[in-house]
Amino acid sequence: MGRLLEHHGKQLLREEGIAVPAFEVAASAAEAGEAARRLGKPVVLKALVPVGKRGKAGAVKFALTPEEAGERAAELLGMTVREFPVEKVLVEEKLEIAREWYVSVTYDKSKKVPVVIASTRGGVEVEELSRSYPEEIIFCPVDPLEGLPAYRTREIWADLGVRGKLLLAASQFLQRLYAAFDRYDAYLLEVNPLVVTPQEELVAAAVVMGVDDSAVYRQPRLAGVVQLGSERAWRPLTELEKKMVEVNESDPYRGTARYTEMPDGDIGFMCGGGGGSLLCFDTLLALGGRPANYSEVGGNPTEEKVYGLTKGILSKPGVKGLFVCHNITNNTQVDVLARGIVRALRELGINPATFPVVVREAGVNDAQAREIFTAAGVEYYGDEITMTEACRRMVARMREVYGERGQS
Amino acid sequence: MGILIDRHSRIVIQGITGREASMVTRHTLAYGTRIVAGVTPGKGGQEVHGVPVYDTLREACREHSPDTSVIYVPPAAVYDAVAEAVANGIKLILIPTENVPQKDAVKLLALARRAGVRVIGPNSVGVINPAERVKLGAIGGDNVERCFVPGPVGVISRSGGMTAEVSWMVKRAGYGVSTSVSIGGDALIGTTIAELLALFEEDPQTRAVVVFSEPGTSQEEEAADLILRGGFTKPLIAYIAGRFTEHMPEGTVFGHAAALISGNYGRPSLKAARLREAGAHVLDDFDHLIPTLRKILG
Repeated sequence: MGRLLEHHGKQLLREEGIAVPAFEVAASAAEAGEAARRLGKPVVLKALVPVGKRGKAGAVKFALTPEEAGERAAELLGMTVREFPVEKVLVEEKLEIAREWYVSVTYDKSKKVPVVIASTRGGVEVEELSRSYPEEIIFCPVDPLEGLPAYRTREIWADLGVRGKLLLAASQFLQRLYAAFDRYDAYLLEVNPLVVTPQEELVAAAVVMGVDDSAVYRQPRLAGVVQLGSERAWRPLTELEKKMVEVNESDPYRGTARYTEMPDGDIGFMCGGGGGSLLCFDTLLALGGRPANYSEVGGNPTEEKVYGLTKGILSKPGVKGLFVCHNITNNTQVDVLARGIVRALRELGINPATFPVVVREAGVNDAQAREIFTAAGVEYYGDEITMTEACRRMVARMREVYGERGQS
Repeated sequence: MGILIDRHSRIVIQGITGREASMVTRHTLAYGTRIVAGVTPGKGGQEVHGVPVYDTLREACREHSPDTSVIYVPPAAVYDAVAEAVANGIKLILIPTENVPQKDAVKLLALARRAGVRVIGPNSVGVINPAERVKLGAIGGDNVERCFVPGPVGVISRSGGMTAEVSWMVKRAGYGVSTSVSIGGDALIGTTIAELLALFEEDPQTRAVVVFSEPGTSQEEEAADLILRGGFTKPLIAYIAGRFTEHMPEGTVFGHAAALISGNYGRPSLKAARLREAGAHVLDDFDHLIPTLRKILG
């Protein structure tokens, strides 16, 4: 899943025929001032970061004059919003507001269909809306094979009490919004608030758009607009994480090697697959271990990929041990894992006698894996122990070598 | 017995000539499972390890009347392959493919629902019924018996890899499995935990079920509801991995695509609480699976 920055989402809606506020993007206070001058009106300034609830975080400001816009932009550009440093701000015309509505399209995971959520109370979070005014919010499931017929869009707004010309405008707005959701393989497209101006025009004042990164291959329009893998981090990717993405992308069709840096920690974590990594991470923590990263390695990766990832894991400062553990593999060749890992250890001059390395790898070609790891002096287990027992062994090894508190 | 598949299953593989599909075909035949036909457009008339290949599923159906299909095609081709299977009267479809776009997933699931066709996956490593020596997909690889032996335990896993590990733990405890099902790690899948529990309830071979879960979705909550309604009365043992993700900033995905926490939705601690309320055995330590099974099954 990949989030779009707001100006990208607004641009796509504009191309769909939906009205959005006039906007510009500024990377400095001076640029923001210039933008405000060109817009010629009071402006709203928003930090361009890929996270929600920016208003609450103080990342949305107002300015009456270009000078003020420059000052507010300077404040925003110095901020970090939920770990994301603000590098650009959105400068847009401040709308005249008669009413604020809410509308979004997303997937209902239980019913397994798209769902339209609409309300004539907007400007607050949808969670709060459904708590406080459950009778004033409409959830309309959509048949994915038929799409959203025009008459359904009229029914939705009419049920919310919208009448007259505004009903027709709202229906058209929703048809276009759903078209954009469908066209760009979005998993979330939210307009909140949907502003009704005193002239009864409908303007998408704030837009949140997330697209399905499994579908980016068929979305040339989204190239360079969506950062792949951005759902796997709560902050911008670190330099090491970017390097690991490169390692993974170097051979995208042979196996997966995902890496997420954790704050602190001393155990290099080289586990997989999806479920196995979650189990190992929980178990190490429960035993008092301190993993320095999270990873998922699976799908029969190449030796090169395993080698690159292992080197990356071991390069994080503070890493004083390596834990390698998978579920019994269905197709991942564990001798290939062994070669990649042992090559990385050798190259970094790591001696498993003094630097704890515990491996539990069973599955395809594990007899060869046992030979390779054992010859390299690594503490190796196949299916004679469970994954939990391997976690216990790792934490015990760390204590043996570094003492109870992790100091050697 | 067991669920979903047995020795009467008439299996076809769509995309059989691909590298992965061809390897899986070899392993599946070696295990003793019958595959009646394969389909790859443009390669009709060939054979893959002795299995005849047809250009279209319709031709394969005329000759062999398959009722079960494994779809080994790339993400962009999955929707069409499922439509082809549904149109030709296939009743059970396994989709191993990972990274199927969500838009395609909801469409293919809707198509199957309308036609009363069961879908397992997408992103499933397979289904296996060891007593009948029948398997669909890569599950078990070339060394099936290492993890999968016949017995009284049903296994349901949201993780493909852990389907094998859980089944191996069952064997280590001294038992075996009736059917092990990898349901797929995606957020939008064809058959959920609760739906499989309902099938295991009806299966005389199955005396208990083990579920391996992860954060995200509301499948465990739905399973708890099913138990409370009396729709599943056998012992259920559950392990929910990914407890640490609750303490990470919200909106970050660890593990499979479905493992998303948002507000209270998808939290392992709440899933565990709901399942416990319903009377399930929820494990804090995965190794406790072995003594728990022994206590339940004797």
